[in-house]
Amino acid sequence: MAALSFTEKIKILEKLRDRELAIAAAGLRRKPAKESGNVKGSQK
Amino acid sequence: MKATLEAINQMQADGVIGKYAIGGAVGATFYLAPAATVDVDVFVAFPAAGSSLLSLAPIYEYLKARGATELDEYLVVGDWPVQFLPLADSLDEEAVEQSVSVIVEGISTRVMTAEHLIAIALRTGRSKDHSRILQFIEQRAVDRSRLQAIIERHGLASKWNEFERRYLGGTRE
Repeated sequence: MAALSFTEKIKILEKLRDRELAIAAAGLRRKPAKESGNVKGSQK
Repeated sequence: MKATLEAINQMQADGVIGKYAIGGAVGATFYLAPAATVDVDVFVAFPAAGSSLLSLAPIYEYLKARGATELDEYLVVGDWPVQFLPLADSLDEEAVEQSVSVIVEGISTRVMTAEHLIAIALRTGRSKDHSRILQFIEQRAVDRSRLQAIIERHGLASKWNEFERRYLGGTRE
């Protein structure tokens, strides 16, 4: 992995960043359902 | 990243900033396997001016006029949130001065050396900074003698000794 070019590594960084942001956004969207008690059995 | 770097290079060419170098997690990625981060740390020198006061306002004004938007402590340039950091001390100055020229997506830019990235992480001292230092060591991406010289030159010996004690078992090579 460390032998990749910087450009290739940056592409991976961008995918990691987009995934983190998507996870964060999904977490924010799920929050109201969780607060309403409508997520029984959905958490592992 | 291409649009981000093009904008920063143009800002440098237009004289808003002097020399700059990428640090932080994105800079470390030049030497290490990629690790998730959501922003780019750009350390900037300012062109010699009469005032000793350093302000990021010229950077914000320049880039916002060209489409950048503010997001918390970042300025979103292209598709990356960028944190612009004025040079705080002699370590920052040396890190930018001795940074290495690299090409990303066909665009020329500069990245701090591995040893300066480590020294700045040591100075900052958060858990994620210590984790990054360990990555450099574990991936053998650091010149230990060069790092030692930087640590001593910039008064970080006590912090390094503490880091060694906590994470490296207090052993010295």
